[in-house]
Amino acid sequence: MGEATLTSAPAAPPQEDSTTPSGLPWWANPRVGLLVVIVALVILFSALRPSFLNVDLTLVPMQADLSVFAIVGLAQLAVLSLGHMNLAVPRMAAVSAFAAGLTYDRLHAPLVVGLAVALVVGALIGALAGTIITTTGVNSFVVTLALDFGLLGLVSLLYAWATDGVAFAVHPAGMDALRFDTMNNYCAGPVCGPPVPLVVPIALVTVVAVGVLFRRSRVGREMLMTGSSLRAARLSGIPVTRRIIQAHALSGLLCGLAGFLLAINNGAFSATIGDQFLLPSFLAPVLGGTLLAGGAVSVLGTVLGATLTSVIQKGLNLLQFQLDQLQILIGVVLLLALSLDRVRHVLAERRGVRR
Amino acid sequence: MRLRAQGLVKMFPGVRALDGVNLDLRPGTVHALLGENGAGKSTLIKVLTGVHRPDAGVVEVSEDDATWAPVTFGKPQDATAAGIGVVHQERNLVPRFSVAENIALQSMPRRHGVVDKSAMRALASRCLQQLDLHLDLNRPVAELSVAQMQLVEVAKALATDSRVLLLDEPTSTLTSQEADRLYAVVRRLRDDGACVVLVTHKLDEVFAIADTVTVLRDGRSVAEGRALSELSRSDVIDLMVGRSFADLQPDPTPPKDRSGIAALELAHVSTSVGHEDVSLTVHPGEIVGLYGLVGAGRSELARALLGLDDITSGSVLIRGQEARIRSVADALHRYGMGYVSENRKEEGVFLEQPVTRNVAVTVWRRLSAWGMVRDRSESVLLDTYVDRLGIRISGHKQLAGQLSGGNQQKISLAKWLAADCSILVIDEPTVGIDVRTKASFHTLIAELAAKGLAILLITSDLPEMVTLADRILVMHDRQLAGEVDNVAHDYAASSRQVVRYMHAEHVA
Ligand SMILES: Nc1ncnc2c1ncn2[C@@H]1O[C@H](COP(=O)(O)OP(=O)(O)OP(=O)(O)O)[C@@H](O)[C@H]1O
Ligand SMILES: [Mg+2]
Repeated sequence: MGEATLTSAPAAPPQEDSTTPSGLPWWANPRVGLLVVIVALVILFSALRPSFLNVDLTLVPMQADLSVFAIVGLAQLAVLSLGHMNLAVPRMAAVSAFAAGLTYDRLHAPLVVGLAVALVVGALIGALAGTIITTTGVNSFVVTLALDFGLLGLVSLLYAWATDGVAFAVHPAGMDALRFDTMNNYCAGPVCGPPVPLVVPIALVTVVAVGVLFRRSRVGREMLMTGSSLRAARLSGIPVTRRIIQAHALSGLLCGLAGFLLAINNGAFSATIGDQFLLPSFLAPVLGGTLLAGGAVSVLGTVLGATLTSVIQKGLNLLQFQLDQLQILIGVVLLLALSLDRVRHVLAERRGVRR
Repeated sequence: MRLRAQGLVKMFPGVRALDGVNLDLRPGTVHALLGENGAGKSTLIKVLTGVHRPDAGVVEVSEDDATWAPVTFGKPQDATAAGIGVVHQERNLVPRFSVAENIALQSMPRRHGVVDKSAMRALASRCLQQLDLHLDLNRPVAELSVAQMQLVEVAKALATDSRVLLLDEPTSTLTSQEADRLYAVVRRLRDDGACVVLVTHKLDEVFAIADTVTVLRDGRSVAEGRALSELSRSDVIDLMVGRSFADLQPDPTPPKDRSGIAALELAHVSTSVGHEDVSLTVHPGEIVGLYGLVGAGRSELARALLGLDDITSGSVLIRGQEARIRSVADALHRYGMGYVSENRKEEGVFLEQPVTRNVAVTVWRRLSAWGMVRDRSESVLLDTYVDRLGIRISGHKQLAGQLSGGNQQKISLAKWLAADCSILVIDEPTVGIDVRTKASFHTLIAELAAKGLAILLITSDLPEMVTLADRILVMHDRQLAGEVDNVAHDYAASSRQVVRYMHAEHVA
């Protein structure tokens, strides 16, 4: 049996076969699949309705939507890293948006101050959720579900108390610019920017920051390790309680940002902000290959997942699907994505991760 | 029943775990299966029991040594049904199920289609009795110690009444007393005509009990069913390692200076898990051993020290200062104390994370600037330990769960050796580690101690204890029963004293 060429040196240099960091081959990489599907859908929709490629009608609003939903996805991703869930994403966004609205309404504060208030309020609520989870030991699912329910009531009470309806009428300076302007409105001499709404750079910065956090930073990595195995993390000297609270706080902060941006896009700080956030918050990360079990996240995948959802929504809108038909479709997409999550797990197991 | 395998090949991404392995298992023998970490022993066992499908090769059985019938096991149950019992290296118990339920799991007695509880309990207690193990049948196995779980695994395999029994490192967490009881059972099974396959890194056990041996190296069988009576210990080691290898022990260390302030001191410590009035000191540069039977409370004491259980009275002093340690994070970052858990699978490694992160996790603080970890320094760190401990990986991004058991253990050691602690509590460091690595680990530990590291060592491997420790404290029923001065590192003398204390009633 001398014909084979196995080297006997320990740690023989790896034949880096085409595996992703998670040890899966590239074709099992959900990002590649997503990209293909997105491109295919864009071609399909623009063939059926040429207006799909219309800048003002479709592309600009789609980018604005996409920015919000990417951040909503990241809000969920922050706790998925732990293997937790945040079912209070909608109401964390709602309460934060309310806080920003109140700041503008009562204090006539400039735009950024309201943004800061929304972020802080979101982070605090998230930290509260994390604290309840770590001190009681109750499952995040239950805690955030209850929290969402409680905050739902709070939001309507707050709006009833602070406004004479369900929305603030106030328009802080700069809000309309942020809402309607694109970079195209800003020119340096004869050269104008691309038709990209101003919320897009905000979303981009956020995406990069969250990406860096989980890929490079110690804190982010420790969150992932905690999600991978709570016991091993505790026994490796990771301050797991702190990391869990921080991840939830980050989730809340991103909810705050999403709520704020949606209010800008809608042109009003109202009680319905966040209502449609829950499903997309799972859809984007899961489509992008983030495991519900924790320990691995994909920020880029989440952006692609959000893109896919936005493309489908806009496309079907143009094809004049009804809202309820749309919801059925989105639900089906989520189920498919979740089954894909399972398939990937099984594949990973075949490749022999011992449990 | 005689079972044989020919030309078995099993490939995993980046490795040929088995590369043409032959094995012949005759009834009425104890067959040792040896090889270094990552040689392919567990993979072979898994292929024989339907966990993995071989990529090539055949497995055949024969009742009369003349006619051979090929068998394929699509799933583990098929192997059990064919009379092949197995204890895998990784534990496979259902934590929430009781001891009795776990033991009877694969051979659940039924009556009218439902589980016959009393027959189940009878079966379980019969199997436990064979091992001379006294456990509450109703206790969930999650509450047992690692060693007790391992014995329950063995009892579970005994319950299947197999004619071929495959044991993958069954004694890795047992003391020699418990291992002896297990081997008494093995001998009886052999005399009844069964074939028992034994995978272990403890060569003394091999020579004491096995008749024939197959040695694997890099996935190939370099010795196939040779009689052990023709081989010496060093022959076997040479076969495993592939070249001559001197089984060197580290030089005995000079007696340690114990006049200064102790690095770690426990003063009259009682814990919520039953320890009473335990006092001990470990000085810088000293290796203090903690020995005792399974269930004596050694690991539990370590866990209480690390804040995982409560200390109810008494005090812990670190470098003379009273310390309040509430978690491993506390211990590591505030007191420079590290802890290698005995429970590799659940607490030692992150199975689904790359090996780099597994090793660097305790060091990220040191490896980062502005909160960002430098990947390069992570890789350099890993390479250092891959080198020093001979960790067999196929790439930096390989997941820890894809490593062989012994290599996972090396990862869980490496992360604490890298952590640069001044006090290290080590619980069962060399479980499942091969002879060569064990020697380099011993050298490494002795070196670290010489540099001033204070080590509290818990190991069930008495020879290892005598090789490494300066003093051996013997624990019996959660109290210290005596102290053995081990500066001479003389196995005969020290072990005699240790065993005496171990069985002596507590001396107040
Ligand atoms: N599921 C898997 N996926 C990928 N590689 C694997 C898998 N299982 C085993 N391997 C590789 O196959 C080789 C043989 O592993 P195996 O577990 O059989 O070793 P072993 O002889 O039992 O070692 P040990 O003494 O450490 O238990 C190793 O290089 C290991 O990394
Ligand atoms: Mg093994």
